[in-house]
Formats: sequence, C-alpha cells, structure tokens
Amino acid sequence: METLLIVEDDAKLAALLSAYLSKYEFRTVIVEDFNLVLETFTASGADLVLLDVNLPRYDGYYWCRQIRKVSLCPILFISARDSGMDQVMALENGGDDYITKPFHYEVVLAKIRSHLRRAYGTYAQTLEERKLHSGELTLYPERYVIQHAGQSAELTQKEALLLEALMLKEGRVVTRERLLDVMWEDQHFIDDNTLNVYITRVRKKLKDLGLDDRLETVRGAGYRLSSPGERP
Amino acid sequence: MKLFCRDQLPLALFWLAQMLLVPLLYWVSGENRPFSIVLYGMSLSLIVLLLYLVFRYTQHRKLYARLSRPEVQPGNHLGPMGDAPLPEAVDELLQLIDREYQEQLNSHVQRLDQHIVFMNRWVHQMKTPISVIQLTVQELDDEAASSIQEELERLRRGLELVIYTSRLDRFEDDFYVQPLGLRKLVSQAVSENRRLFIRRGIQVDIGVDEDLSIYSDAKWLMFMLTQILTNAVNYTAGSGKKVTVSARRSGEATILDIADQGIGILPEDLRRVFNPYFTGERGRQYHESTGMGLYLVREICARLGHRVELESTPGEGTTLRLIFKI
Repeated sequence: METLLIVEDDAKLAALLSAYLSKYEFRTVIVEDFNLVLETFTASGADLVLLDVNLPRYDGYYWCRQIRKVSLCPILFISARDSGMDQVMALENGGDDYITKPFHYEVVLAKIRSHLRRAYGTYAQTLEERKLHSGELTLYPERYVIQHAGQSAELTQKEALLLEALMLKEGRVVTRERLLDVMWEDQHFIDDNTLNVYITRVRKKLKDLGLDDRLETVRGAGYRLSSPGERP
Repeated sequence: MKLFCRDQLPLALFWLAQMLLVPLLYWVSGENRPFSIVLYGMSLSLIVLLLYLVFRYTQHRKLYARLSRPEVQPGNHLGPMGDAPLPEAVDELLQLIDREYQEQLNSHVQRLDQHIVFMNRWVHQMKTPISVIQLTVQELDDEAASSIQEELERLRRGLELVIYTSRLDRFEDDFYVQPLGLRKLVSQAVSENRRLFIRRGIQVDIGVDEDLSIYSDAKWLMFMLTQILTNAVNYTAGSGKKVTVSARRSGEATILDIADQGIGILPEDLRRVFNPYFTGERGRQYHESTGMGLYLVREICARLGHRVELESTPGEGTTLRLIFKI
C-alpha cells in the first residue's frame, strides 16, 4: 500500500481528497502543521506528494525544493493558478506534474497512478493492482475482469468503466449523466441508447456469475448497484 | 512667421497711428517744417521698429513655430523654446501640465495593474471553494447534486471568462506560440466541456485529420474553443442535434469549422455579435449571455494573427470559422 502525503491548507479539500484516495487503497497523510512539512514528509515515508502552491508561511515551491533535497519521490502540484509560468515554476522547482483547480477526482487518481507506476516501475509487480470490492464481487478495472465466487468474466473497457462507477457508489443511485460522463470517449459522444446497450450487457455478465438483479434501474434518475446484503 | 505677423499687427497699427499724429501736430501748430524732415524722422522710427521686430522674432522664433504647429508629440514634446521671459513662462506651464498629466496617467496605470492583480488573486481564491463543492457534490447522487454540478460549471466558466478578460490587457507577457496538433487540441476542448453536451443531449462529431498542425498558443486557443463550443451548445435547442468540428487545409491556411444546428444569427446581427457586450435579441431570449465570448474570440484571434469568420442561416445553424495562417 502506497502512502500519499497531502499538503493542502484548505482542510476540507484535503479531507475530501484523503477520503477518496483511501477508497483506492492508498494510505494518506495530511499535513497539519505547515511549519513542519518536511518533517511530516520524512515521518510519513510518503511515496508521493500532493502539494498546493499557496500555503501559509512558505509556498509549495519552497517545500518542493526542501523535499527534493532528501527524496526523489513524485511530487504533484495542485494549484488554482493556471498560467504557463506557474507550471514552469513548478517543474523547475522539482515538481513532476501540475493539476489545476477545480479538478475532478479521476484526474488526480489517474495522475497519481501514472506517476507511481513510472517512479516505482521496477517493482511494478509488487505494486498492488487496483481492485474494487462489493461483497463477493471483485472488479479489476485495469484488466477488465470481474470475479465472483471463484468464477470470473471478461468485460470490455466501456463495461469496466461503467461497473467501476456503479461499484464506487454501491447501494446508491448513479445518474445517467454521470455514467455518460465517465464513458465519454475521446471523440465519440455516447448517447442514451448506447448506454442502455452497455447496461444490458453488464447485467447479463453479472447474471452469468449468478448475480441476478443486483443492477437496478431507478426510474427517472439512473442506476443502482445494490449492496450484497440487502434484498432487492 | 504668419502667426508672428498677426501677433504684431496691433503694434504696427499703433506705430502707424503715431506716425500720422506727428505731421498732424506740425500742421495744426502751423510750423512749416519741410516735409522731408518729417519723412526722415518717420523712416528712422520705422527702422527702429523693424529692428525691434527682428529682435523680437529671433527671440521668440521657436515659440511661434511650435504654436503655429500645435501637434502632440509623445515623449519629447517639450524642447526649450528660448530664454526670453515669455517662452520660458510657456515652457514652465507646459511642463507643469505635462507632469500633472504623467502623474495622473501613472496612477491610472497603477490602479489598473492593481485591479488585474486583485482579479487574478480573487479568481484563484474562488477556485478552492469550487473544488471543494465539486468534490463534495460528486459523492452525492440526487437530482439536486446534478443541478449543483451544472451551476458549478457555470461558475467555473464565468471565472474563466473574468480571468481571461483581465489577462487580455497583458497579452504580450502571456503567450507562447508553438506547433500544435489540431486534432488533439479539439478533442481535449470537447472532452473538457463534455458535461455540457451530455446535459443538453447534443452530439459532437470531430472530423479533424491527425496530421493537421497549426502555430498558436495552446492556452488561449483552448479558451477560445471553450467559448465557441459553449455558444454552439447554448444556442442549439433540442437533443439529438449535432455540433460538427471539421478542419481542412486551404493553400497557405488551415481552416477550422465549428458548425452547430442551432437557432442561427439574424443577418443584421452578424457583424455586431463580435462587439463587446452585444447579446442581441436571441441572447436575451435564450439564456443569460454576457456578450463577451465572441468579442474575446475576435480579440484573441487578432493578437495571435488568426482570423475568425461567422456564417449563419437563421433557424438552421451557425458555422464559426477559425483561419490559421502558416
């Protein structure tokens, strides 16, 4: 399990990030005393740092240089500033990437994963594969495979994306808009009909694994993957 | 010279009157002085007058020259105009006015700069709360959340508009032209605004060749594309409609077309949509419109050396065309 250090002075934002990343089996440490960023970093043994630029006392660039003196771990800047100059500053002070606010969770997650892969690629085998659980059901979002009670089924990329979005909110409704958003391809708009087709396919694959009726349609709202314990 | 003559005309008339007074006095008093003596005295006086005028002219030559060509020369508008009392006084006055003017100008420039800095800071400060709300909303699922999400995006676009408008004043410090893959850029712009399309149920069709590249600034171009796509979606009513983005090379230029199937623009408005704050009948009718989007697009195009054209058939749609020269 990798440890992520979150250096962000907006407590709410830090907490939200931390909660989200914990779902993906990262250990997160939030810096609380902004005089002791370096100390917290050393103590936490972080594998990657999320660093805000505007901080009390010293700015993110300063702390980036400090961390660079002792570690080569990936440092991702998170900032509201979006001019080219700020990004150049970030990279010149030793940062590895730059994420501008406001951002979506997926962007942060994707960048964290890509930098971890690149930085610790040599022991990538030991890096745990991303998994999502819902009762007995396990999804491997990177291999497009689901497992249930010893059986497994292959998904297409789109089906995997769809199921991941549903599993992340297990027991709650996911809107059609949200699903369309997640599945949006680079250039092709996915319309409602296409979404229906994917839903039908995912349902069938779940059914083949003996998971009948887990995926419900909530009229006028979206879809819901019921929790394993509850009666549909 | 002309001005000098006009200025000295009263003196000449005054002198003439005096010169007529002298023979008149002789004549009235009955003294029969020979006329030649009177004439001699008059010509002496004329010579003295002329000497005075020449002296006066050489002293004030520069002043008169400046005054007869009153043009504003920025920078070195004030050379010394001679050391006679009058030019000196004028000089002083002008310098005083100039200093005053410069001070005012400086304080205005300073205030504008401060304003830009403040706007930038403020916009950036707003981004953290927006992030927090956005992340919180992602965890909620009901209809309210999706509505909040929609408003958030409007907020975000609004802030972006503000920051780019204020940046426009300092464009020179803030652009970097490089070769850009048009396909990738358009895809990214569409993808970043995908929620807008999803919500309106409007499809996008990108027909841009992979190998088309242009010279431009990625950030500004991205901003322009967002404005154009937002317009295209906002003025298209009804789901199932399509926005088509296509590009082609035409001689020396690369042309990017963004066509919607929206309500179109009335012919009489076609020119005016690029004016700042112009919203037109349709803008008011359809949604809140600041009238700044297309104005900014035109301004940015002008600064980046691109051209922008608009074609529209009311009721059928609008095509916005960006022309990039090589």
